[in-house]
Amino acid sequence: MAVSTTTLSIGGNTFSGHLRQWEPQDSKLLKKPRKHFRWLCLNELHLPRFRTKTSNFNPARGLLPSLHAYGKEADDAFLSNVNEDTDEMFDDLMKKYGKVVYRKNDRKSQSAELDDDAESLSFAVAMAKVASEVKAGDIRVLFVKPLVYWTRFFIICTAFSFPQIDAIGSKMRDLAEKKYGKIPSGDTKPNSWTLLDFGDVVIHIFLPQQRAFYNLEEFYGNATQIELPSENQPPFRS
Amino acid sequence: MIQPQTHLNVADNSGARELMCIRVIGASNRRYAHIGDVIVAVIKEAVPNTPLERSEVIRAVIVRTCKELKRDNGMIIRYDDNAAVVIDQQGNPKGTRIFGAIARELRQLKFTKIVSLAPEVL
Repeated sequence: MAVSTTTLSIGGNTFSGHLRQWEPQDSKLLKKPRKHFRWLCLNELHLPRFRTKTSNFNPARGLLPSLHAYGKEADDAFLSNVNEDTDEMFDDLMKKYGKVVYRKNDRKSQSAELDDDAESLSFAVAMAKVASEVKAGDIRVLFVKPLVYWTRFFIICTAFSFPQIDAIGSKMRDLAEKKYGKIPSGDTKPNSWTLLDFGDVVIHIFLPQQRAFYNLEEFYGNATQIELPSENQPPFRS
Repeated sequence: MIQPQTHLNVADNSGARELMCIRVIGASNRRYAHIGDVIVAVIKEAVPNTPLERSEVIRAVIVRTCKELKRDNGMIIRYDDNAAVVIDQQGNPKGTRIFGAIARELRQLKFTKIVSLAPEVL
């Protein structure tokens, strides 16, 4: 019984994830292979229950608690309605189709993610090195991926004049384009807060006054700071 | 759908509290502004003793609209209020922190500074 309960809760979870994806686009539902409908039919009895759960399903936050409540509910339903044969059928269906459903929702494998992280890290360190070559002050490389989903690394540095900001920005752009084939979006002209957005790495070049004003390091205080190999001199602040 | 005379909340700590749109920047005679568009606005209400004052004319980026924002994948985002972030002519935000959730479309529209100050990006 315990085994079947877990199976159903996993199945239910992936299933609810799918329902959520279907909701906005009904046309997609029609394109799905027939096997999914069979699965729907099998779950006919519990479908209203699934629906109610789906409405507050939140992949970022509510996953674990809802999963838990889910297993419990499913268990109750199971005790009253379903016999051993259907359990096995669910297991079979889970073996046959469970993985396919999972693959649909999955984005990237763990190793690919790590590779991307390493690549971005090397790029970020190269950029920080460029900044230190052009005498930017107080260079910080922050790993912000655990905090925000939209980027991996922040580089925050201080420049002391507009020509210096221009020099740092253009040098970074040149290196990124030549060596890594990346072209940044963001500011093209030097600005008191110049931002270069390389996708996975976002570079902020501040004037000292603006750096103190926006205080980005404090806002991302929980991010892990990456130690730079060449950064041995004490931070230079005006 | 923000048009002249629309009142908006302010989603940052710049000191303004309420704005009124007086012009949508873009094409001539542009009627409506959506998320990520720049508007010219007048401050209708401000926090006392802050750099921004009532009846000052400023630029702002719209970050939340009651009108639905549709994405290519079929997702629809609709907020409870119309809100904007005060910026200067160079596009730097006047405040130092943004309040509330904002949409990731702002990043594509080159408002990454606003996105990087926001607590939550949808």
